[in-house]
Amino acid sequence: MLETRNLDKSFGAVHVTRNVLLKLERGERRVILGPNGAGKTTLFNLLVGELTPNSGSVHLAGEDVTALPVAKRARRGLSRSYQKNTLFDGLTVEENLGLAAAVHTGHATRLWSDSLAKPEVREIVAEVAEQVRLMPFLHAKVSEISYGVRRQLEVGVALATRPLVLLMDEPTSGVGPEMAKGFHDLLNGLPRDLTLLIIEHDMDLAFDVADTITVLNYGEVVFDGLPEEARGSKLLKDIYLGSWEDA
Amino acid sequence: MFRHTPLRYGVLVLLAAAALFQAFTAEYFGLEILTEILILAMLVLALDMVAGFGGMVSLCHGALMGVGAYAYAMLTTKAGIAPPVAMAGSVAITGAAAWVIGAVCARSHGIYFIMATLAFGQMAYSWVFEAPVFGGDDGLGGIARLDLTMIGLDLTDSRSFALFCLFALGAAYGATVLILRSGLGRSLSGIMHNEQRMRALGLTVWRVKADVFGLSGMIAGLAGALAAQHIMFVSPGLLGWTVSGEALVVVILGGLGTLVGPLVGAAAFVVLKHELSAVTPYWHLVVGVILIAVVMSRANGIFGWVEARWGARIDRRVADATRKQQPGEVVSDA
Ligand SMILES: Nc1ncnc2c1ncn2[C@@H]1O[C@H](COP(=O)(O)OP(=O)(O)OP(=O)(O)O)[C@@H](O)[C@H]1O
Ligand SMILES: [Mg+2]
Repeated sequence: MLETRNLDKSFGAVHVTRNVLLKLERGERRVILGPNGAGKTTLFNLLVGELTPNSGSVHLAGEDVTALPVAKRARRGLSRSYQKNTLFDGLTVEENLGLAAAVHTGHATRLWSDSLAKPEVREIVAEVAEQVRLMPFLHAKVSEISYGVRRQLEVGVALATRPLVLLMDEPTSGVGPEMAKGFHDLLNGLPRDLTLLIIEHDMDLAFDVADTITVLNYGEVVFDGLPEEARGSKLLKDIYLGSWEDA
Repeated sequence: MFRHTPLRYGVLVLLAAAALFQAFTAEYFGLEILTEILILAMLVLALDMVAGFGGMVSLCHGALMGVGAYAYAMLTTKAGIAPPVAMAGSVAITGAAAWVIGAVCARSHGIYFIMATLAFGQMAYSWVFEAPVFGGDDGLGGIARLDLTMIGLDLTDSRSFALFCLFALGAAYGATVLILRSGLGRSLSGIMHNEQRMRALGLTVWRVKADVFGLSGMIAGLAGALAAQHIMFVSPGLLGWTVSGEALVVVILGGLGTLVGPLVGAAAFVVLKHELSAVTPYWHLVVGVILIAVVMSRANGIFGWVEARWGARIDRRVADATRKQQPGEVVSDA
């Protein structure tokens, strides 16, 4: 479904992504682990096209999309949420979801009708609000909801484009353990045919949702396999304990 | 996204009533001023649409109005095209020019967007100024007004022409509200709030910006076609950047992103200009001081200030009153 071949990216002399090979099957749920600065967010930026790789390619549903701009990749079914909330702040939760659903249904550029009044758009908004538990907050403005709920909306907006592949950059960053657990239940409730790539800091939470695990360190894939194998891996412990000590 | 509040409706009704009163009671000079206000109001409406709702602060809207004026003048005097067709033509030409400007400038932001639009405006100005077909420095005269005698309106009469401009402004206002409330208008507000996210959701951002800029250009073009008919003469000064600057001042004085505010601003600006310039040649100084005061007060213009102070209270009162009158009905917030 989503694949990268020898993806490489440097910022000047800093080599941030090294020869990354990634292959996600349809419906696969893969978690990316790695210490701070490992290049996880950069990999996402390369996948969605917000950054251009120095070399290598990105393939979506069998097609090379490396040359496609962000918006075109998104329209082919690649959606992402951000590590730092990237919402429409002055608008309501419903309007935030509606903007995304409008793009997906083609109502975002219509001049003769209001996108949010369209049944297709309303349907997606209601469905996504249910999926990410935003029903009680639909009419609240982003500024009026708590940080944790904003994290849910961050994922909800990405989901409302009805993607084939959803990339989530630390969806639980900054929320308490209780809420993070709830978030993972929510992820487990998403449709099984949706391909998920999730950056997660907390290993235990990662094992909760992952079919497969990829570990990045210094921009390199240092582990690629099943959660059970990862759990026992000495390499992983070293990297992680090392990074926790640094942090 | 634009919303009408009771306060906004109230001010709109007041403005319309004042304009109608003026149109039916004023003499020649008063009617000229009214018409000047209405045309400026249409221009600032177009500017507020892109600047207030799309973050596209344009310094070429004066030039766009000039394009509309020259297009009307050229089509009627040189190509011999009938005024109604020429009006539609000038609106279309200005819209197309604005669309191209919007498409080219869509990727730049802030000061760079302002500079890019200014450059386009100046290019249009110098072309019109230099090219002999446009009459150069002398401009073009002998421009005919629309003939509406079949519906009993003689537009050569100032009163009728003012009423015609008022009608056109009403139509332009309605169109602007519809555009801002459409799917396109919502996407525009999404872009203003967070352009990166709109792109990540799959929206072709530059197209939305160009489309809205083009639509705004059509309204500016209509203002231009009316301006050409009003003074029955066009000159390159119409396209000068000071016209764009003045329009921006009016939008900011009135209240960016409120639509109603810039209309108030247009009326205040023109009246102030005529009152003050009769007293002192330094009237620009006074306008400057007022602008500085408004900007320093950190309010969103005159209307924005009124809205921030009394808007919520008035809206609540009106909502309560309507609820009492119609207990069965839900008061909508749309
Ligand atoms: N635009 C940029 N220009 C220069 N260096 C950058 C840029 N973006 C990221 N980097 C550097 O690349 C490295 C990887 O950053 P990235 O944000 O991808 O890490 P990450 O794995 O997401 O970290 P975290 O867990 O803190 O989110 C860091 O050293 C960062 O400083
Ligand atoms: Mg990161």
